Amino acid sequence: MVKQEVKALSGKAAIGGPWSLVDFNGELKTSKDFHGKWILVYFGFTHCPDICPEELEKIAEVVDEIDDNPNVPNLTPLFITVDPDRDTIGAMKEYLKEFSQKVIGFTGTSDQIDNVCKAFRVYYSKGPLDEDGDYIVDHTIITYLVGPDGNFVQYYGQNVEAPEFTKSVIEKMKTYKPHYDK
Amino acid sequence: MAYPNKEEREICYKARDDFWKCVEDNDGDKSKCKKLRSIYESKCSKSWVKHFDKRVEFLNYKKQMAAGYDPITQEPLKPET
Repeated sequence: MVKQEVKALSGKAAIGGPWSLVDFNGELKTSKDFHGKWILVYFGFTHCPDICPEELEKIAEVVDEIDDNPNVPNLTPLFITVDPDRDTIGAMKEYLKEFSQKVIGFTGTSDQIDNVCKAFRVYYSKGPLDEDGDYIVDHTIITYLVGPDGNFVQYYGQNVEAPEFTKSVIEKMKTYKPHYDK
Repeated sequence: MAYPNKEEREICYKARDDFWKCVEDNDGDKSKCKKLRSIYESKCSKSWVKHFDKRVEFLNYKKQMAAGYDPITQEPLKPET
C-alpha cells in the first residue's frame, strides 16, 4: 500500500514541467505564464482525421461545464501541435475557432515541440507522405490537467467521456493542495 | 495544403460512413459499393482514407480475434481492402 503511494507521487513529479512555445497570437509563452490557473493540455494537429476534433469537442464541453460551475475555478484549455511544419499560428487560430473561443493554440520550433512532448511523455511520429504530400501524425491521445502551481494533477484518456471528465476535474480542484516548493 | 474545416470534415465522415455501411449491408462485398467508394475518396484526403480504412481493418481483426480466430493455427485473414 505504502509502496503504491510512493510510486504515484514519483510519477506525478515526472510529468509536465517547464516549457516555452509560441501561442496563436504569435506571442512567446512559457509554462510560468499559466501559473495561478488550472489548465488542460492536449496535443494534436489541424490535419488530424477524427480523434483531435472529437477530443477538442469534449474538452470544450468540459471547460464550459467547469466555467459555469460557481464553486470551482475556471479552466484554461491549451492545444499544442505535434505538426509544427504545417500548423502555423494562423492555421491554429482558424482551426480552433471552430471548437471554442477558449482554447489557446500553441506551436513552436521542432525543438520546442520536442521538449514539451518529452516533458508530458507524449509520443508523436510523422507518417509517410502520400501522393498529395499529405501525411498523418500519430500521437498520444491524452489530456493533462495541470494545477495552479504548474504541477501535473491528472490525465484523461480518449475513453473518458465529458461527464466523468468534468466530475473528476471538479473533485481534483476541490481536494487540491499546491506544491510551490519547486 | 490547408486542413479540412468543420464542414469538410463532416462531409468526409458521412461519405466514409455511407461507404462502410454499404460494405456491411453487402456482407463485405466492396464491388457493390464502387460509387460510394469514389464519393468517399473524393470527399476525404488520401491520407485520411488510408487512415480510416486501416482502422476498419483493425476493428474487423479485433472482432475476429474476439470471436476465437487463432492466427497460429488458422489460415491468414483476408484483408478487407
